[in-house]
Amino acid sequence: MIGAALTIARVKFVLEIRRREVIFAMLLFLAATIVIVRVALSGDTGAGTRAAAGMLWAAVVFTAVLGLLRTFAAEHEGGVIDALLLAPIDRASIWLGTALAQFGFLTAIELVAVPVWWALFFQGGGPSVGTVVVALLLANVGIALVGTLSAALALGARTRDVLLPVLVLPLLLPVVLGGVTATYGAFGEEVGGLRPLGFLALYDLVFLALAWGTSEHLLGD
Amino acid sequence: MPTKRHLTTTVPLALSIVLVPLTIAMAFWWTGEDVDQGLSQKIFYFHVPIALTSYIAFAFGAFSAAMYLWKRTEAWDLRSYVGVHSGTIFGTLVLITGPLWAKASWGVWWNWGDRQLNVFLILFLYYCAYFMLRFSLDEGERRRSASAIFALLGVGLIPMSFLAVRVAQTLIHPTVFTSSGAAMPGSFLLTFLVGMAGMLSLMVLLISVELRGKRTAARVLQLQRSARGEDA
Repeated sequence: MIGAALTIARVKFVLEIRRREVIFAMLLFLAATIVIVRVALSGDTGAGTRAAAGMLWAAVVFTAVLGLLRTFAAEHEGGVIDALLLAPIDRASIWLGTALAQFGFLTAIELVAVPVWWALFFQGGGPSVGTVVVALLLANVGIALVGTLSAALALGARTRDVLLPVLVLPLLLPVVLGGVTATYGAFGEEVGGLRPLGFLALYDLVFLALAWGTSEHLLGD
Repeated sequence: MPTKRHLTTTVPLALSIVLVPLTIAMAFWWTGEDVDQGLSQKIFYFHVPIALTSYIAFAFGAFSAAMYLWKRTEAWDLRSYVGVHSGTIFGTLVLITGPLWAKASWGVWWNWGDRQLNVFLILFLYYCAYFMLRFSLDEGERRRSASAIFALLGVGLIPMSFLAVRVAQTLIHPTVFTSSGAAMPGSFLLTFLVGMAGMLSLMVLLISVELRGKRTAARVLQLQRSARGEDA
């Protein structure tokens, strides 16, 4: 089952490297959002670190939604999804493979965009790097799990493009809260840096369990 | 057979007719005024039962969704939908009464530091999305399972939202303030319980009336089809 999921994720990566449909759009979107917010806040010196932490997490979640809009799209348009459903593999592995690819895309983009965020907002004395990296990785897992699940639910809906953000954003609100708290806590003067990280890990586990439990019914017939 | 069906509406109807006005009467004429908040505390007997009832309706919706995924009968799908629907109706009331109370006792319409308020807002947005999902899918097996899975995810979202707001609050508000510090006097508690029972019977009434309406509509559709000679 894990093998099938890895294969699906690999196919998605190969397709993405050839077509360059999703990653570049996501990267540009994230970078543009960061720059726009930095420019919008430029006169306000009081906004400071909390605004920086908040905008990073809002931008990450919106970028993830942008990428999710293309999840399953290729399969749906080409009718590949039917073939995948007929294949003698566990349904959970289709979902898990797609989530893995989504996690990879998000992480790849953040590798480029987060340093930009760092450079634009902090000339010296930013938050502790380790905490922010761990928080982002944990959040990427949750975003990929919940996002892929919602994308599968919205599959075949008439208004899929409008529907998906509406489904995903309330579900991801706890991730944003946890992420902002972790980032803000990583500035040093505040305590409790580990609790939000633990929370993000717990979020991943809870939704992994829920998605796993319902995956058999997920992609429909 | 008809008597049993009628019982599920007439009993909650009778209870709501008695209990809801009784709550109003008890709240205004029997309980004393709160030393701290004065008259504005009276909304407590409505706001809190409505909020709890809304959670119970959502829980009923999620339970029915799980039952649907297990049993695969349309009746459970319908129950799940109606549960979420009435939860949203009560949720709207919570979002109206909550800011009213907040304005009266804290001086602001919305307190971003309050845990209950924010969790409820997340949940309300989430269950509003349920209707968008449900009505943008074509009727059938796929719509029923997608709705059921989405309703079930709420079971994970509720505790996660509570935890998230709590984790965030350790940074925003180091001192956790409790809303009801002192123990409630007996008359307050009794009025609250009567209010709770009234709201619950109102919820059962709403659910059973809506279920009956939906069932009747489905039955009419089926009869129309068979009258036209299509397969029933």
